[in-house]
Amino acid sequence: MKLKDQIIKTMMYATGLLVAVVALFPLAWMVISGFKAKTEVLSTPFRFFPKDWMFSNYSSILEDPMFLKSMLVTFTGAVIFAVLSLIINSMAAYVFARLEFRFKRTLWVFVILTMFVPGMAILLTSFIVVTKMHMLDTMAVLILPGVASAGHMFFIRQFYLNIPLALEEAAFIDGANRWKIFTSIFFPMSYPVFVIVGIGSYLGYWNSFVWPTMTITNVDMFQIMQFLNTFRSERSTEMGLLMAGSTLAAIPTIILFLIFQKYIIKGIKISGLK
Amino acid sequence: MQVYRGKIVTSILAVVILLTLVLSGCGNGNTNAGNTGKTDNEGGTNSQAGNDNTGEKPAEKVTIEFWAQKFEDTTDAWFKKWTDEFNKTHDNIQVKLQIVPGDAWAQKLKAAQAAGKAPDLMTMSYSGIAPAAKIGQIKPLNDLMDPAVFDDLYENIKEFVTVGDQFYAYPKLVEPSAVLYYRKDLFEAAGLDPEKPPVTWTELIEYGKKLTQKGVFGLSTAQTAPDLGWSSWGLQYNAAGHLPVTDDWSKADVMNDGYKELLNYYKTLYQDGIIPKQQLAGYADATPFGEGKLAMTISGSWSIGLFRNDFKDMLDKIGVAPMPSIDGDPTKPTATLGGWTLVVDGKSKQPEAAAKYIEYLLAGDPGIMIDFFKTSQFSKFSPRKSVDEAMAQDPAASSDEWRRLIAEKVIPFAQAEPNYPWDISIAFATAIESAMKGEDVDKALAKAEKTINDFIAKQSLAGTNPK
Amino acid sequence: MKKKTRLDNVTAFTMLIPIVVLLTIFVVIPFIYALYVSFYDWSFYQDSEFVGWSNFSNVLSDPLFMMSIETGLKFALFVVPAQMILAFFFAHVIRGMGTKLSGFIKTSIYIPTIISGIIASIIFVFIYDYNAGLANVIVNMFGVENQAWLADAKTALGSIAIPAVWLGFGITSLIMLAGLLDIPESYYEAADLEGAGSWTKMVYITIPLMKNVVLYLLIVGFTGAIQQFELPLVMTGGGPLNETTTPNLYIFNHFRNDLLVGHSIASALLLFVVLGSISAIIFKVLNSEKAVDG
Repeated sequence: MKLKDQIIKTMMYATGLLVAVVALFPLAWMVISGFKAKTEVLSTPFRFFPKDWMFSNYSSILEDPMFLKSMLVTFTGAVIFAVLSLIINSMAAYVFARLEFRFKRTLWVFVILTMFVPGMAILLTSFIVVTKMHMLDTMAVLILPGVASAGHMFFIRQFYLNIPLALEEAAFIDGANRWKIFTSIFFPMSYPVFVIVGIGSYLGYWNSFVWPTMTITNVDMFQIMQFLNTFRSERSTEMGLLMAGSTLAAIPTIILFLIFQKYIIKGIKISGLK
Repeated sequence: MQVYRGKIVTSILAVVILLTLVLSGCGNGNTNAGNTGKTDNEGGTNSQAGNDNTGEKPAEKVTIEFWAQKFEDTTDAWFKKWTDEFNKTHDNIQVKLQIVPGDAWAQKLKAAQAAGKAPDLMTMSYSGIAPAAKIGQIKPLNDLMDPAVFDDLYENIKEFVTVGDQFYAYPKLVEPSAVLYYRKDLFEAAGLDPEKPPVTWTELIEYGKKLTQKGVFGLSTAQTAPDLGWSSWGLQYNAAGHLPVTDDWSKADVMNDGYKELLNYYKTLYQDGIIPKQQLAGYADATPFGEGKLAMTISGSWSIGLFRNDFKDMLDKIGVAPMPSIDGDPTKPTATLGGWTLVVDGKSKQPEAAAKYIEYLLAGDPGIMIDFFKTSQFSKFSPRKSVDEAMAQDPAASSDEWRRLIAEKVIPFAQAEPNYPWDISIAFATAIESAMKGEDVDKALAKAEKTINDFIAKQSLAGTNPK
Repeated sequence: MKKKTRLDNVTAFTMLIPIVVLLTIFVVIPFIYALYVSFYDWSFYQDSEFVGWSNFSNVLSDPLFMMSIETGLKFALFVVPAQMILAFFFAHVIRGMGTKLSGFIKTSIYIPTIISGIIASIIFVFIYDYNAGLANVIVNMFGVENQAWLADAKTALGSIAIPAVWLGFGITSLIMLAGLLDIPESYYEAADLEGAGSWTKMVYITIPLMKNVVLYLLIVGFTGAIQQFELPLVMTGGGPLNETTTPNLYIFNHFRNDLLVGHSIASALLLFVVLGSISAIIFKVLNSEKAVDG
């Protein structure tokens, strides 16, 4: 038995490491390509490391004030977006998971159906809406249209459904109201889910390109993907710069993830209760 | 129950309206802080009915929005430089330039048009002009610009920007879509004369075979439908003498020997392994040739700029020649003349000011355009006689062999880009691609014929050619 | 479950206001507006003309649209199950590991998620490069000649599915992991007492209790995969011979090339119908009362 456990354990580690290496390889290549000259990125025969390490791609991007500014603007926007998204969607998730009220089904269907509306169908008309609301070139146009998300609501709700009712019953007896229960019981138990949804929202904001390009013309508010796209055109791409820029742009997100990921492993701490 | 529902709908609506108001309030606040141009526009819209004073007071500064599609960095820089210069020298007009990435151009432009926020000025390719003019998306320039500036255009190019009897655009440049680039050193190594590039398709295929060795492909050309869609127009003229629809757009016209030969040409290139089985880069991007992975490549004249900027140590080894013709006749078209123009939006409130900018930038001092052709390494060509004349005085330009070759041997025989809907081009390109991938030539053409005819019927296209 | 039904109308509506209002303004109103204009030849410069159903019938009679739906479904079938099965097992692997190493591994599989679709496409175009790409370097080692991964009709769709799995694998695993950790340990302990093997535990405890999460992942994975268009746009342009033209790429191509936008809006609305119906089927099949009933 002991030996078998040992073998299983070793195999698990091996698989884990292998998957990690495969997952990281393309990224490692991105980072390394940032050190290559434009013409060396795709040289034959295949080489992983550059012939001459050049730092000019990274340094020229770091020296560009546009880059740091757009990182800062995008980061701020993404954090606000993620926080708002958590508040709005978790409230709705709680209501749909626990409360009984009139038109619950109708409202549920209403919200869920929005999940299937293809972005392309409403691209023009939502642009008209934000234009009519004078939101162009503001943070609001980047944050508000996407912040309410049926998908995220649905996801959080799936976790709330697993929280035992017993917890609330006790609180009810103590005289707590719904709002209190939400903020003092559900909210604190939501860390793992919130980390996942929060990072998901953050990334959705961070990686969006078409919508910012459509709605932001003020250079001071350029989003990071708008900035990175200046290295691409149909006739040739500044490969080294693009790879270096993408690498640098990924750093804040990686740090953020490293800070928050430990909450995921903790799980919803309700195991003992049921 | 019903009553309840009514109440709730009303209250939701009330909240929506409330929120709308709040949001628009905050939106405005931000707009004021950062962006004065926008507020000006709003003022204009509101006061349009009664006291539109922007046009009357000459001292009032007009703001012109200008969107340019992103191309080479040199082009972006040139636009910025001369727009700043224009703004410095014109007290009444402020042009706000925005470079828009190609990936998002369509979305951004269409959304802006739908919301009535289209820029006053924008870049447009030749093939877009006639359709846009037809639906009023762009304004005729005859009354907005000095008529003399149109006389300066070469006759054939004048045609490119004319719809009916009006000029709808002012051209900036022309670029032939197909030129043959080849490696002189590899020619020598393969026992071919580097001064005698292939002139017929048969020769091209034969040379391609000889030049193919390990690690280097003999040739590269377009091989996916989206690339073939536009890059094969010139060769279609070459082989068949026309494009795949009749002039009045009433039916497909592909079942002939010329088109069969064209498909066979591409098929041979692909099936014999002369071109890679998977393209190394898009047709417009000649980087793989610069990197030495190809012995010959077919690409547009713009690739000269790429070679001269990025592959300086390759330049001695590169030869430039017209794209070979089906039968070796050098006077048959092998390329279309693509290129970019500036147009004024159909709803622009400041068309005169917008036109003034075009006149300054594209139709004014030849020096401005010469600056452009220089920064683009003479990989693009002037639609204006006076610019070419001025350029002849310029030592760098007049001594440029490649420039002369393209100007003398390619451009005079090149054709205009078609202005029919893209669906037709892609339907035919799909026939080429499927032949390359092994489909029988006759079947591929029959399928294209059917697709094009179906499209014509569905869109009631017959007789709608605006030219 | 059946308690005396206490109606919390006021609390519920108050807490729902933000999501309902925002979705109404930014999704529903634009959607209804789009629905309205889809019956017109919507022109921005001339009077729009009412054309009835003709935008829709044009789309439906276009064989390329039908083919794109099929491609989208095939693509989703490549991506979603692969991603879910891999993630399910991998989540187990992580759970079984010590925290130190699992932290590193979690981070590494998660990192691809932070790369934008366009950058990922560019990286994989390099990997599939005919001449110098890693994929061909690897098959060469096994004595196989260079493959035209993205240009061969047989391999193209599969080749663009791999970066899709790569991009989504990390977050799917983490969600699975969160779901796994959400299952009370006591269930497994009880099962151990009854002498259940690990297979039995998985079938009778893990899988049923993961239903909520699986339902979410299926719906989101499916709608995401069928709507994918950055990967084919950058990697293949929809080729070879439209083999990788997903529905959204089809719509995007029309949006970009058509003079009027009616055709693309109509096709996007038809895609909505497809997405909605298939998701409804997934709901029905999993038949989670909790999920549907709410």
